[in-house]
Amino acid sequence: MQEFNYHRPITITELKECLSIPGARILAGGTDIVPRMRQGKFSVPALVDTSGVKAMRFIEDQGSEIVLGALTTHQEAADSPLLQNINPALVTAAESIGCQQTRCRGTLGGNIANASPAADTLPALLIFDATLLLQSLEGERRIPLEEFLLGPGQTDLLEGEFIHSISFKPMIGSWGAAFIKIGKRSGMAISVANTAVAVELNDKGKISDIRIALGSVAPTVIRCRKIEQALLGKEPEPALMKEIHKACQEEISPITDIRSSAEYRNHAAEVIIHRALESAVEQAKERGR
Amino acid sequence: MKTITVSFLLNGKKTSVTSLPNRTLLDVLREDLGLTGAKDACGGEGECGACTVIMNGNPVNSCMIFIGQIEGTQITTIEGLMEKGEFHRLQKSFVEAGAVQCGFCTPGAILTAKTLLDNNPHPTDHEIREGLSGNLCRCTGYNKMIDAIHLAEQGGLDD
Amino acid sequence: MTDRFLTVGKSLHRKDAWDKTTGKALYTADIPIENLRVGMIVRSPHHYARILDIDKKQSLEIPGVLAVLMSDDIPGDKVFGPLIPDQPSLARDVVRHLGEPVVLIIAETKRAAQEAANQIQVSYEPLGAVFDPVQAAREDAPQLHQDGNVITALNIKDGDIEKGFQDADHILDDTYTLPRIHPGYMEPETSLAVWGEDQTITVWVSSQHPFTDQRFIAAALDLPVENVRVKSGVIGGAFGGKEDSSLSILAALGAWAIKGAVRLVNTRRESFIAHPKRHPAQIHYKLGAMSDGTFTALKAEVHMDTGAYASYGPAVAAILTETLAGAYRIPNVQVESFVVYTNSPLSGAMRGFGSPQSHFAVESMVDSMAEEIGMDPVQIRRANILKVGEKMFTGVTLNETANALPICLDKAQEIMDRFRAVEVSPGKKAGVGMALAAQSMGLGANVPDDSTHRLEWAPDGKVLIHLGAPDLGQGLAMAVEQITAEALGLPYSQVESLPLDTLDRPNGNVTCASRMTYMAGNALIDASEKLIQDLLAHAGEILEVPAKMLVYKEGQIIKEDGKKLPVVEFLGRLAEKSITLTSESTFSFPYPEETTPQGLPIGMPHVLYCFGAQVARVEVDPDLGTVEVTHFAAIHDVGKVISQSGVEGQIEGGVATGLGYALYETMLRKDDQWVDSFTEYLLPTSKDLPTHYESIILEIPEASGPYGAKGIGEIPLVPTAPAVANAVKNAVGVRVKKLPITPERVLGFID
Repeated sequence: MQEFNYHRPITITELKECLSIPGARILAGGTDIVPRMRQGKFSVPALVDTSGVKAMRFIEDQGSEIVLGALTTHQEAADSPLLQNINPALVTAAESIGCQQTRCRGTLGGNIANASPAADTLPALLIFDATLLLQSLEGERRIPLEEFLLGPGQTDLLEGEFIHSISFKPMIGSWGAAFIKIGKRSGMAISVANTAVAVELNDKGKISDIRIALGSVAPTVIRCRKIEQALLGKEPEPALMKEIHKACQEEISPITDIRSSAEYRNHAAEVIIHRALESAVEQAKERGR
Repeated sequence: MKTITVSFLLNGKKTSVTSLPNRTLLDVLREDLGLTGAKDACGGEGECGACTVIMNGNPVNSCMIFIGQIEGTQITTIEGLMEKGEFHRLQKSFVEAGAVQCGFCTPGAILTAKTLLDNNPHPTDHEIREGLSGNLCRCTGYNKMIDAIHLAEQGGLDD
Repeated sequence: MTDRFLTVGKSLHRKDAWDKTTGKALYTADIPIENLRVGMIVRSPHHYARILDIDKKQSLEIPGVLAVLMSDDIPGDKVFGPLIPDQPSLARDVVRHLGEPVVLIIAETKRAAQEAANQIQVSYEPLGAVFDPVQAAREDAPQLHQDGNVITALNIKDGDIEKGFQDADHILDDTYTLPRIHPGYMEPETSLAVWGEDQTITVWVSSQHPFTDQRFIAAALDLPVENVRVKSGVIGGAFGGKEDSSLSILAALGAWAIKGAVRLVNTRRESFIAHPKRHPAQIHYKLGAMSDGTFTALKAEVHMDTGAYASYGPAVAAILTETLAGAYRIPNVQVESFVVYTNSPLSGAMRGFGSPQSHFAVESMVDSMAEEIGMDPVQIRRANILKVGEKMFTGVTLNETANALPICLDKAQEIMDRFRAVEVSPGKKAGVGMALAAQSMGLGANVPDDSTHRLEWAPDGKVLIHLGAPDLGQGLAMAVEQITAEALGLPYSQVESLPLDTLDRPNGNVTCASRMTYMAGNALIDASEKLIQDLLAHAGEILEVPAKMLVYKEGQIIKEDGKKLPVVEFLGRLAEKSITLTSESTFSFPYPEETTPQGLPIGMPHVLYCFGAQVARVEVDPDLGTVEVTHFAAIHDVGKVISQSGVEGQIEGGVATGLGYALYETMLRKDDQWVDSFTEYLLPTSKDLPTHYESIILEIPEASGPYGAKGIGEIPLVPTAPAVANAVKNAVGVRVKKLPITPERVLGFID
């Protein structure tokens, strides 16, 4: 069991001060950090518990943008009628995480900062081009989520910084967004592959905007620009599977690990992209009516 | 490493504990407070639900919560479920439906079921399966637990 | 018929359930003890290595550390084993598997123990490890033990194998591979030991065999057996896995060393790497059949990976081998089975004890043969099932309970037809499959298989069962209380079974092998009879009439004139004279010489069988290869239901474990580490099990059973995996021969 000094700030100013302690690490829901620390997998000189910081737990419609406090729990995201309207993929993703016990503890900010390649909320945020607001004693900066994720467990978060909130712009027009994951069992499933797809259809019914993100097929959750490019401007029809297959081969090279094989992940990614696309297109058509 | 003092409401009583901060709620319940109804089955990894307690109305794995994180919260453990010497309807229904075998997962499952019924008084089978999915059980195959939850939500228990 | 029974067959409340729903039940890890010290085990980081040196100096200097113990510190036997004493309590000279205990630390706090564990300096010289049992059986493999790696080599023959295959019109040949799986009890292994005065020690265990624990502890500490008292805590599931010593020897060693109290609790990770699992096996299976479906020959070769130490390997091999022909008549058989040491984690007992492995092979193969010949799966089974009075290839003659087999098939047929009519979900392919099973009861011929239990009629009228074997959580206590209540004509509430304590309980032997309700039930019916006779004798003296003039019925003594006197009156009078009514009875598992084939290796054959069939309906996603079991039915003959809810619970739970075996569970090794947590080792959750489930319980009385009952502990998970595999084949045409049935296997990406 690791030893550390414990801090429990209440205000965001106090949080900034606590995190300026060299090596300090933030503790949000703890669903990842607590077990890992107990197994001795990492140690920190100071742990900064955010359970007292109420100001970072919100879901707000700020007009042009939706802003989510980093300490919003997965359960809160899953239960949000606002998010259901603006980003249904995120709601599905949040609902699919772990179980009741972990959803009501785990936070969106924690899911992002852990930067697991298998994280479920990340694809649903990436397809909305989500931006993070990072703060520290030094000041604050904004960074696109896509640039923030550097590798498994690696992010652009600097010493002393924390994720304050996540923001993204709602889609407009005839759009739809869906999330699909494959786990090894139904309950408490960790993604073997997951995807979020957002699509916008123009008045001719062709794909005028498409965003695809995949999880568990690369060192980070990724946006799939090549597949997006291959589908842009096309009519959404079953034959698109071929395009997806071709572009997917170029785009991703997953690994074999304890959970699944590279071959299966490659294949499954294509299938779920296609299915998520179908679901998103259906929503888009519904909105277009 | 300095100790910390944490105050919270435990089974309706104001409680204050002093502990090293690297201990979990489960450690403190079992080792300091003598409340051994919450169990450790997965080794503190949040994978089994045997240590489930209710925190501010939500089921949580007490093995994944450092003790500092419970400051100001309301915690209910299985020991606090009886009211005025009366068994909770879920305790009765679990016994009645034969949902208890080895019993190691029972406290966690009952507490999870309580939060489920508090939020959704008449859940479907599907909702019960979803709600219980964080509580592993090797003995029952869950069927009788689902029966027990229906028995509790529909009333009709013998007193 | 239903009127005949007062208590047996009813669905009653378990008496231990109230404490379990309120958190009051004390499992061994919960028992409060003054001045309790913490034990921690330093384990091998290597699969196979020579220990060059252990330096404990620094550890001993840490404040709060009370003892740092190695093999040399064990005063008595340094090795133990249920069948073969080959397992060191603490490794000496060499470690043979990852996680093997090397040093035991006792400290005042967890923190000090952890610090001491960090400071222990053990130097190892790693050796080349072997994990595959087929490779390990070869002479050029690293040899783990002095006598080589092959512990058991069985070669069982019946008929003329050459001729059998000559008679066959169709011959199929396949290899089936079974994974290593965790029994999955929720309560990890734990023991609590307290050193007392006068060189005695009391040890609480979570164990299927407290009397064996007692013997092992006494031998390790070089104490007389009577100085070791073993008590059973409430047990959080066992499923065979707690037939191996669950830390009891080491906890006792710690308590002995510090002359105090020590608790050891395995973390789940320790449980994974260091405690026995279900045997992984490779089964090469060749079956011959005539074109009308009649089986003519079976040739099989089995390699079982028992890991670094034998545990129950040889005994598991016996049942695996004996059940390789399933419930079928195959006139010509040759089976060779090898139990092999490897550097894998240990394999030992687990629910089914070899028979889930054998049935995956035979029941998959029977379906393949049906398809090969162009027969219906039920039809081919009907053509080959053993009839009453016919012999299995081991020479065991099936008794009249084999009448269950055709009934199982009839029921399965009805259910399959029903399941086939279910509408298929969009985008999915549905399939229905079944499997049949025969599971042995008992420990096998020529091994001690006795069970002793005692009754006490307390002055308040309550009957106490001094049960000689532990309830593992499955409900043994309820079953024997119902049987005893029935035998004495008393209400269930008036009979109570007491937790096990070796100090004053008779030895009921190990709770395992689908036999404890049968064994204890028989013993307690006999003990009840003796108790009544004893009561009547005393009552006769008190009433000054010959005992034979008195009749006992349902808690009352009836005099010749019809006058009824409550038993408590007599018990009170006897108590005044310091007389307590008790009776004890031993039941021995019947292996009648005239019908038990001789000449087989020790522990073989098993002579009494349970039968069942299961039907699965699956929906397979043809693009993703994912399998969902949507409908499931389990048909089992239990002889006679003792406890309705208990029997249902055993079947439902067994099926869930079988579905885990079928679809999810496997303890893989990757990057030199074993899967050692529930994060990657997946037990079925409530969302993973079929939403449509039915149990069909048959009652074909077993003449030797208590009220006709036989066992139900193991068989519910035996046919499950092949039933699912057969349903998957039916849905998408893919025959998966290796468990678990993962999407990769369904789509053919691996194996």
